[in-house]
Amino acid sequence: MDHILSLIIFFPLIAGIFGFLVNKESIRAYGITVAFIEFTITIALWIAFDGNEAGFQFVEHATLISSFGVSYHVGVDGISLFLVILSTFMTMVALIGLNIEKDAKNLIISILYLEMTMVGVFLSLDVILFYLFWEFSLVPMLYIIGAWGSDRRIYAAIKFFLYTFAGSVLMLVGILYMGYIYHATTGVWSFSIPDWELLILPISTQFWLFGAFFLAFAIKVPMFPFHTWLPYAHGQAPTVGSVILAAVLLKMGTYGMVRFLLPLFPDATIYFLIPIAIVAIVMVIYTAMVAYAQKDMKQVIAYSSISHMGIIILGIFAINAEGITGSIFLMISHGIVSGGLFMLVGMIYDRRHTKLMSEFGGLAISMPTFATIYGIMLMASVGLPLTVGFVGEFLSLMGFYKVNWIMTLFAGTGIILGAVYMLTLYKRSFFGEITNDKNRGLKDINGRELAAMIPLVALVVILGIYPKPILDPIDTSVKKMIVLMQKKSVLPENKEFIIKVNSIRGGE
Amino acid sequence: METYLYIALFAPIVGSLITALFAQMPKKICVGIFTSTLIFISFISSMILLNYVDEDQIVHVKLMDWISAGNLSIPFGFVVDQVSVIMMVTVTLVSTVVHIYSIGYMDHDESFNRFFSWLSAFVFSMMILVMSDNFVGLFIGWEGVGLCSWGLIGFWYKKHSASWAANEAFIMNRIADLGMLMGLFLIYWNIGSLQYDIVFAQIVNLDINVVTWIGIFLFIGAMGKSAQFPLHTWLADAMEGPTPVSALIHAATMVTAGVYLIVRAGEIYTLIPDVGLFIASLGAFVAVFAASMALVNRDLKRIIAYSTLSQLGYMFVAAGLGAYWIALFHLMTHAFFKSLLFLGAGNVMHAMDDELDIKKMGGLYSAMKPTAILMSIASVALAGIYPLAGFFSKDKILEVAFNNGSYFLWFALFIGAGMTAFYSFRLVMLVFFGEKVHKKLGFNPHEAKPFVIYALTPLALLAIVAGFFEQSFHEFTTQLLVNYEFTLDHSIALILIFATSAVAISGIAFAVYKYKRGGFSEKIEEWGVYKLLINQYYIPKLYKDGIMKPFTSFSKFLWLNIDNMIVDKTVDMIAGAIYGTGEKARKMQSGNLSSMLRWMVAGIIILLALAIFYRPMV
Repeated sequence: MDHILSLIIFFPLIAGIFGFLVNKESIRAYGITVAFIEFTITIALWIAFDGNEAGFQFVEHATLISSFGVSYHVGVDGISLFLVILSTFMTMVALIGLNIEKDAKNLIISILYLEMTMVGVFLSLDVILFYLFWEFSLVPMLYIIGAWGSDRRIYAAIKFFLYTFAGSVLMLVGILYMGYIYHATTGVWSFSIPDWELLILPISTQFWLFGAFFLAFAIKVPMFPFHTWLPYAHGQAPTVGSVILAAVLLKMGTYGMVRFLLPLFPDATIYFLIPIAIVAIVMVIYTAMVAYAQKDMKQVIAYSSISHMGIIILGIFAINAEGITGSIFLMISHGIVSGGLFMLVGMIYDRRHTKLMSEFGGLAISMPTFATIYGIMLMASVGLPLTVGFVGEFLSLMGFYKVNWIMTLFAGTGIILGAVYMLTLYKRSFFGEITNDKNRGLKDINGRELAAMIPLVALVVILGIYPKPILDPIDTSVKKMIVLMQKKSVLPENKEFIIKVNSIRGGE
Repeated sequence: METYLYIALFAPIVGSLITALFAQMPKKICVGIFTSTLIFISFISSMILLNYVDEDQIVHVKLMDWISAGNLSIPFGFVVDQVSVIMMVTVTLVSTVVHIYSIGYMDHDESFNRFFSWLSAFVFSMMILVMSDNFVGLFIGWEGVGLCSWGLIGFWYKKHSASWAANEAFIMNRIADLGMLMGLFLIYWNIGSLQYDIVFAQIVNLDINVVTWIGIFLFIGAMGKSAQFPLHTWLADAMEGPTPVSALIHAATMVTAGVYLIVRAGEIYTLIPDVGLFIASLGAFVAVFAASMALVNRDLKRIIAYSTLSQLGYMFVAAGLGAYWIALFHLMTHAFFKSLLFLGAGNVMHAMDDELDIKKMGGLYSAMKPTAILMSIASVALAGIYPLAGFFSKDKILEVAFNNGSYFLWFALFIGAGMTAFYSFRLVMLVFFGEKVHKKLGFNPHEAKPFVIYALTPLALLAIVAGFFEQSFHEFTTQLLVNYEFTLDHSIALILIFATSAVAISGIAFAVYKYKRGGFSEKIEEWGVYKLLINQYYIPKLYKDGIMKPFTSFSKFLWLNIDNMIVDKTVDMIAGAIYGTGEKARKMQSGNLSSMLRWMVAGIIILLALAIFYRPMV
């Protein structure tokens, strides 16, 4: 168990390299096997994980550049644990559902590399290492969109790459500056997150650093108005790309917010809280309305993803255990649900080679099982209780209610608008008589597709009914982080604010 | 007793899930029998619990933890007390009847199995709603019944209007649910728990403003489920669903969930009489408003739907004025006679090949005597004629309004009672008596199968006798609920009873008299009032033109003009500008030595200038 995290990070890489030796016919089986083993290891990690321990566990440390304090430093806590499991799980499911024949070998190897970078981002405790994985994750995705996408794939891939890259570069400047300050204050070089967390920064420095980090995360999430790369990327990406992009890559942005912005810059976080929350609310409502206007089924889900990410951001900036725990849970549940929805859209696309809702109608008649699974995923997306979608949404909104109730009310319209665009989509595509002859006699969901969807559906229901095993470890780590924030904040009113939003009846 | 609780709760979902496996198969009669049996078992368990629950013994269990984060902890906990057990019995009783009835009603439907799966799932959700011991548990049921209602209104999903109505119902309920969620958040952040017992014990310690807001938010939630103005339009449209669904969901159980919420949260509402008065006033308004639309409508099911709406208004008057047990009593009796009325209407629809226009029926009495009798019983009960159930419960509500000194509310309800009697018998007369219009139109009506009729008899029996349980009902429920004190003089109460009965009887008499003679002339259809009423006060049109259309076009505008043209164009422009600069600057690299030297000189000058004039901060 000593090196389990390194195993989790590098197993997909090594397996990917060996993948070049595997012959073409068996590459799919090989990919699924690797992803399954990787997933099993993360489950073993969960079993070995001590849920009552709030700090980092299974920490590994090896100095890389001693003169600058850069090291290979990995560890896992309640906040990152489930994002790692989500990454390996969704990679596995996406590979099971994969049916691209063209250059399948290269595609599967790309996906395995991508898996490495994703878990790397969530497990890194050294910021330079984090940054490396963060930027590396762009490369396989660039290939996946650029090589296996639809007609305008090159434009979409380059837009995705440059846009997110531009944001990250600013973060790099922030990282270096932060490292410099750490050295200036303590006399030693360190890029380790636990070290940085102990550093108390003056307010003005917090502002600048907050801005540099925030922009990178905001583009990745993507927050309004930096979101326009996402619909293109989804529109052009192959199904497997969309699934991983929506399920995991976007979560890197919100994970970054929880991991960096809150504990490192507590005063700046509270200072910028209301403006960010306003942007998040605009994002919830605006993208929900744009989603409603879409003609393309995949675009509806792409925009709905952005809308849900707004709720996640709101939960994070509630600065209380309810909100942050809820938003991390919502990251997991949104990963499962949006990933599932993108896979379902992919299945229709495989059959009809179109994603336009006007081409469908009456699909429930020709594909009843498919319609049922779609319906379950849709209800989870709408946030129906006893599905996975409810828990996180409820907690996030509840958390932010303590900060500002009117803003919560506005953000809550997201749950209404969510029902509007999702039910309209369902009605247009699945209900009614079959008007287009091409929809007659479509094959219902097949074995391979079922194998990919059943785990997702099962999780939607199981975690909706029993979210506790996931909520508890998250909550433990989040509570510790909030205590840290409270201790670290420079201004006394911010200390009070944190206590206030975390207590029943205004701090009594 | 815990075992009975779990049986009552989980029997329906077991039926639903097992049946769901057969959803795509052709009709299997055993599916209907199986689910009906399970619902009946649930009913029996509820009856046993009803027998068990007493002043100092209630059943309270915690199944497991559900959500916990921060200070919040929400279990799956269930409580069977005086209020929930009444609801359980009512729900399971009506559900049993509706299930059995549906075996006959859905006989020829290709999705027979799917129907029963949804219907049992609904019963389960409703049981969660009434049995939960905390507000979030109630919210699970609340959304669950909304989901099942969506699935059942849109059951015939090939029909455009059905799936549209299903979406409308779901979305309107969602709007109200947001209000309810806000109420839950407010409760949590002031009390730290969402368990009923803790909340009700501590609510008195809160600032009155906070309690007022809690009351308002929760009532907004109730308005959606119980279709109160202005969120009422979905209920009439929900009649697109199969008739057993209308009987169970949109008359007897789900729509009364809002009333249940107010009754359950009575401890909160007794602290805020102003909000209560508002609830009562809105209820009285809806009672008259909905009844007025029922007066002219020609659609068999819509008339009954408006009548349901109107009766929900009555319940809210009682609940708003603090007479919780009376609201609950009317809820129960109404469930019996209204579901009977709907199921009878279902028989008529089948007989008339799904024709709904009551002006095309007439004289059906000879063809379907039992149904006619059953529907007449239900109508008399609805009109509130002694000694049927409606008399006892509705009369009490009018007394409450009078007792409270809200004479205006009383008067509105009084008028409403007259209208109720009139439209109920207008329906009975037009459908069962008078000229046989259906003959001319070539219909060949036939009575429903005998077992369907037999299934309805328990409801008919209860519609007749339920009123006599008033006293024991009162004693039983006020063990838990706040009692309502009547200060009215006995003689005044008697006068009120006579007055109300008189207006109800004259309403009936007028309807019978008028429609025996062929009804009103066609001329009234020219009247402005008629047009206003038949168009439902133009409210659906207003929603369509005033909300839906602008929303759609604004969404399109946001997408095409803002998102594509401004937000995305800006990004592309920045990228384009950088690319363009590079493209232009490339010309510098022309390879021409003299121009290169010139650029070099320029560069040196700039660097020199920087070195001389720029002093970094030290």
